[in-house]
Amino acid sequence: MSNTTELLVIGGGPGGYAAAFFAADKGMQVTLVNKEENPGGVCLYRGCIPSKALLHIAKLLREAEEATKWGVTFCKPEIDLDKLREFKDNVVKKQVGGLGQLSKQRKINYIQGTATFVNSNTVYVDKADGTKDEIKFKHAILATGSVPATIPGLNINSDRLMDSTGALELPDIPEKMLVVGGGYIGLELGSVYAAIGSKVTVVEMMDGLLPGADRDMVRVLERSIKEKMENVYLNTKVVSMEDKRDHIQVTFEGDKVKEKVQKFDRVLVSIGRKPVTKGLGLENTKVGVTDRGFVEVNEKLQTADPNIYAIGDIVGNPMLAHKASAEGKVAVEAILGHKVAFEPAAIPAVVFTDPELAWAGLTETEAKDRGISVEIAKFPWGASGRATTLDRNDGLTKLIIDPETDRVLGMGMVGVGAGDMIAEGALAVEMAALARDVALTIHPHPTLSETVMEAAETYFGESVHIYRPKRK
Amino acid sequence: MLKEFKLPELGENIESADVTNVLVKVGDTIELDQPVVEIETDKASVEVPSEVAGTVKEVKVKEGENVAVGSVLITVESEGSSAPAKEEKKEKSKPAAKTEDKKVEAEPVKTEAKPQPKSSGLVEFRLPELGENIESADITRILVSVGDEIKLDQGVVEIETDKASVEVPSEVEGTVKEVKVKEGESAKVGDVLIVVDGSGSAPAPKTEEEKPAPAKEEAPKKPETPKTSPSPRSENQRAGEPPVDPARPNIPHRSDMPKKIAPAAPSVRRFAREIGIDINEVSGSGPGGRININDVKRYAKNLNESIRKGGVSAGTPIGIKKEQLPDFTKWGDIDVQPMSNVRKKTAEHLSYAWATIPHVTQFDKADITELEKMRKAFGKKAEAAGGKLTVTAILLKVIAGALKKFPQFNSSIDMDKKEVIYKKYINIGLAVDTDRGLLVPVIKEVDKKNIIELAVELSEISAKARDKKLTIDDMQGGNFSISNLGGIGGTSFTPIVNAPEVAILGVSRGGFEPVWIDGEFQPRLMLPLSLSYDHRIIDGADAARFIRWVSEALENPFILSLEG
Repeated sequence: MSNTTELLVIGGGPGGYAAAFFAADKGMQVTLVNKEENPGGVCLYRGCIPSKALLHIAKLLREAEEATKWGVTFCKPEIDLDKLREFKDNVVKKQVGGLGQLSKQRKINYIQGTATFVNSNTVYVDKADGTKDEIKFKHAILATGSVPATIPGLNINSDRLMDSTGALELPDIPEKMLVVGGGYIGLELGSVYAAIGSKVTVVEMMDGLLPGADRDMVRVLERSIKEKMENVYLNTKVVSMEDKRDHIQVTFEGDKVKEKVQKFDRVLVSIGRKPVTKGLGLENTKVGVTDRGFVEVNEKLQTADPNIYAIGDIVGNPMLAHKASAEGKVAVEAILGHKVAFEPAAIPAVVFTDPELAWAGLTETEAKDRGISVEIAKFPWGASGRATTLDRNDGLTKLIIDPETDRVLGMGMVGVGAGDMIAEGALAVEMAALARDVALTIHPHPTLSETVMEAAETYFGESVHIYRPKRK
Repeated sequence: MLKEFKLPELGENIESADVTNVLVKVGDTIELDQPVVEIETDKASVEVPSEVAGTVKEVKVKEGENVAVGSVLITVESEGSSAPAKEEKKEKSKPAAKTEDKKVEAEPVKTEAKPQPKSSGLVEFRLPELGENIESADITRILVSVGDEIKLDQGVVEIETDKASVEVPSEVEGTVKEVKVKEGESAKVGDVLIVVDGSGSAPAPKTEEEKPAPAKEEAPKKPETPKTSPSPRSENQRAGEPPVDPARPNIPHRSDMPKKIAPAAPSVRRFAREIGIDINEVSGSGPGGRININDVKRYAKNLNESIRKGGVSAGTPIGIKKEQLPDFTKWGDIDVQPMSNVRKKTAEHLSYAWATIPHVTQFDKADITELEKMRKAFGKKAEAAGGKLTVTAILLKVIAGALKKFPQFNSSIDMDKKEVIYKKYINIGLAVDTDRGLLVPVIKEVDKKNIIELAVELSEISAKARDKKLTIDDMQGGNFSISNLGGIGGTSFTPIVNAPEVAILGVSRGGFEPVWIDGEFQPRLMLPLSLSYDHRIIDGADAARFIRWVSEALENPFILSLEG
């Protein structure tokens, strides 16, 4: 049996489902092929959503413990792992179920299965119910996302070795856990396990955690990470792992590690993600793929095959859900013939550790790399009244400003709630706000959002709560 | 004499503060009002100025410590054992008052091997003592680059310790020869930061790609972010996942990112894209050059106008793709000359006229046998007046009459406003062939002059044109043009209307032709006329009537007096 569709979306993650929903809203006839029962993708099933549910609990545990300092002492928490897992699973179920409903309401032809290209306008679909189908499409959007990357040569066959997906399943509370990779995934999941009682060691090849983020912000986070983690080894490599049945024996290489050989009950490998572009039959189309496995697209997200668009993780970094969604809409509009391009001035990024670390637009690091002359205005949260009330002065808000025009080019923030507050930075950057605009926008008191306004004020040497005269 | 300096009252209900930065160390000489520590309370981050002066003997607090009001911060041996350090402040004058402000952030401690401020030769500037228990700091920013002239107290690097981020002011002066540290590196106290050539204040020999030192200190003291900015690694990846894709390849929309994204809101950027405008070309009228939607519209409008005027690319009308010229040298030698101004103007103007005016050319022949006789008969009179009674001179008078009779030939049209402008005056341009190219002087108020006057003026103005003496005024204000090529030859041609005029009369060489008159062929002197006109305002029948009227007036000049 063969049928036709106006728009075929392959992959139901935040890129794919956003594209499919948007296209349906625009009156297109849409078929969405996705592996899972419901739309959601890695983000909802194995990423953003379940990890945030667990991080919420981790934060609660930390606060309960800290409360002793404030004169409130709780009993030592008891962790019912099954119940915790159930909570997390229910969060996921609720979200993806909702998406399934939204898909039905939009009359999207949702097919659980996998699609392989036969040619530039036909795919072969292997359905989850065992049947097969051929679909002819006028346009297609590829949104197959990414999977955790593995370390070549260190792929031992042990169920003690986990990737982010495995770690989110919460198999147990390992006594000793190793997190390989000090990026956001490792730090977020490492924090969860540390909070529920594991002794977590983080090992990072580079000389700092969260490579790419501005060091001054990372340093704030690092302090709290180091407190929570058993060990943080920087400039250190894992050279071998051995399955010893009741543990994994790990050998490190690097000056920072005294004991080169250590035992861990579980090892989480979170060294990054790689795009899923193999096995899709792309060779039967004109779609171009780089040697790193990313699909090549133009500014409209159109591949070398004019019928086929690609969005999300498979077209490159940053591999973030909200970037994929935004790209999905651009691709649909391009298909509708609108003159559009994916050209954001800011793609916010958030690391949901405690404290959270977030940035939008240009970072100081990027400015240096690209030779862009910028001024940095910082406001440390030590001077924030709200942060003090929370007993959370471990924060920093900074603005990256164009000294010629005073335009806000980027914002960085580390501290509790930074992930929510970074949106203001994204708006400022997109609207080409000037530092003066931010400084003149009245922010509610007492809130952490005031730090954004005051950071802008420090640029002019006139922050109320910091004495730092402008350098002449 | 030992003095204690205690944490003073900070304000109501503030009993303690966190020391975020200790700004002095044992052995320092401090002055009144010199900041001792940086503290942070619930509400503010401030520096605490000293109320004593002298040499620091002991620092009693550490960074990160919470200190109660009244606790001893430092003990100081006041200067000169005999001179009791009075606690009354401000009694001493402050010798270094002018640099005081700059020292606020971190008073660098003069190191033992204190380099001479204005020494000659190369001097190393090392990371000074930063405070108790601080052995190293991260260099977060380098504020100078090789070739910069630096002054005393000018910030050299920005460093970050656990608790504070401060600038390290220079203790030396001169030209930066070498920067020994990199951003992102950690430096130990005593490590060489920069090497400075302190020999004289004469500007140092410029090294390649150096910027002039900010001598006037106009600009922010930091001389632009230095070029030597190899952050430890180059991170393209936002999410911080190194192994997958450190340098995203070939993905056009990120790698082609302009250095600065145009300062326009997303809705404005989208609008520009929709109407095909490159937002980066638009200049914004808002603060900081922000581009609003009206800026984009204005830009688009101007662009359209300049295209319409041919300004974008002379001779390439709207909708026509410019063709590249071939390489002519392939086929032989060439000589490339720049266009003269007259040529440029002519090219642009005629391209515009040709591209915007729908041209039609109406041909006719006027029998000037009788006119020619009169012309010869009266030629002397005109010569006596200083002119030459030419066919053109007579034509001027005839055309003036025709323009009165057919006013749409004496008009211009405004397509924007959809209006026709009728002129109540009659000025006629005459195409004159000169060494420099085609010029069109205008004879004004032709209808008010007789033929002899016109002949005289024609002679004068032609001479002026050839002698390059025409003024702009002489060439403006025409309503109609005459181009007479009869002197050279030819049977007919299709002149281009000289916009914003709406018609032009081309005149070719007259000659005897057999004309059937009264039952026989007679030799008649026939003058070929070519009337090109703007079909937007002039209909074909009108044009035929016009040229017929002109022909008849030439055949029988009495008509001029009768109707003209």
